[in-house]
Amino acid sequence: MTLGVKPLHSDKITPMNEQALIQDAQGGNLDAFNSLILHYQDSVFNTALRILSDDDLAADATQDAFISAFKSINSYRGGSFKAWLMRTVTNACYDELRRQKRRPTTPLEPDTEDGEEMDSPRWLADTNMTPDQVAEADELEHAIQHCLNNLPLEFKSVVIMADIQGMDYTEVAVAIKVPLGTIKSRLARARLRLRECLQGFEELLPSSFRLEVEGRAQ
Amino acid sequence: MKPHDLELLSAYLDGQLNPSDSARLKTRLKSDRELASVMDDLRTARGYLRQLPLRRAPRNFTLTRKMVGQNPPMPRAYPFFRVATTLATLLFFLTYGFNFLAPQLVSQPGYGMGGGGVEAYSAEAPAAAATEAPAATEAPAEPQLSAPALTATPEIAQDRIMETPSAKNGVEPTEPTVDLFAQTQPEMPAQEPPPLISTVWQYILLGVAVFGAALMLVMRSLSVRRWK
Repeated sequence: MTLGVKPLHSDKITPMNEQALIQDAQGGNLDAFNSLILHYQDSVFNTALRILSDDDLAADATQDAFISAFKSINSYRGGSFKAWLMRTVTNACYDELRRQKRRPTTPLEPDTEDGEEMDSPRWLADTNMTPDQVAEADELEHAIQHCLNNLPLEFKSVVIMADIQGMDYTEVAVAIKVPLGTIKSRLARARLRLRECLQGFEELLPSSFRLEVEGRAQ
Repeated sequence: MKPHDLELLSAYLDGQLNPSDSARLKTRLKSDRELASVMDDLRTARGYLRQLPLRRAPRNFTLTRKMVGQNPPMPRAYPFFRVATTLATLLFFLTYGFNFLAPQLVSQPGYGMGGGGVEAYSAEAPAAAATEAPAATEAPAEPQLSAPALTATPEIAQDRIMETPSAKNGVEPTEPTVDLFAQTQPEMPAQEPPPLISTVWQYILLGVAVFGAALMLVMRSLSVRRWK
């Protein structure tokens, strides 16, 4: 049964509206579900990107996750819809990682003369940033992504959801399907490992950012 | 550093501790330098992660009906026509195949029910000729007497029989049997049995199948158009 909610064409969704859209989507209304997609696609894509560390794979996983979410939307029984979506995208990413393990592939991106992967030109496309800012942001992202990649997968997904996506512990517990205590423990250990890893990049990190973090710590 | 302390610090950082635990930890942080240092590390790590730029999705991930395998809602009668069309098509081919194969099955030697098809009948003919022939040529007649008679016209057969020594010797020839074969043999292929299932039924089934398929096509295209 559809509630006749007018699908939104912007990505602004209130909690009440979200419930109505979910109910419509459960009745098979694809437009309602597309409104939810527009609202959550950035978060879902970023989660996939941080887990998989590849833009194209992340886009594929995001699309798969949304298709899978629509097909199984009747299994959603309330609670945080974002957490439920995050579980779907995490599963899609795990599937992709398992597939990569079975059939490893070599990226086609060209390397520099030093053998290092060339930077993606995405920052250059942002006209609001100066070249220095672009370089700093790129360095920061590379360093954090490198350290994230060194984390075990179960730590990685927790820290991505809690610290990058800003989800609370309960939502992360729902998304990962583990008890709250396990989330707390994994998050604490993941943060400590990340800190240790990032210390090796301290000099590379943007100066403005270092000052900001130090100032906040005092 | 105890793992429990680490968890407490992390939860404190996120404001997930209850007030009493929080107050206790605050007091410990003031006196314990190691604890305070780890707290700083955790805060710094969290700060780094929160600084990570949130990337916009490279494209819209909205779904199409094709992607999720959604089909347009069909009229209620659609399943009925689908079953009827399928059934009619199947029956048409079954009857067609049955009519085509049945005579061949019946003609096979050793096939039950005593045979009776065209081929069975023609296959029996040489045997009959072989048994009948000696009767016609009891006298020292030419052994090939009956064989040419089978292919010759009645007049020629009559002439040949008259010329045989047995005829000359006054032995009563048994022309009627020879004549019978000579006359009936060429007509045998014309005795084709009628089809077991009437062709009228086949036409009806074919009509139902074609009509049903056409109707389904129209229903489908109308539904798709309305759905879009």
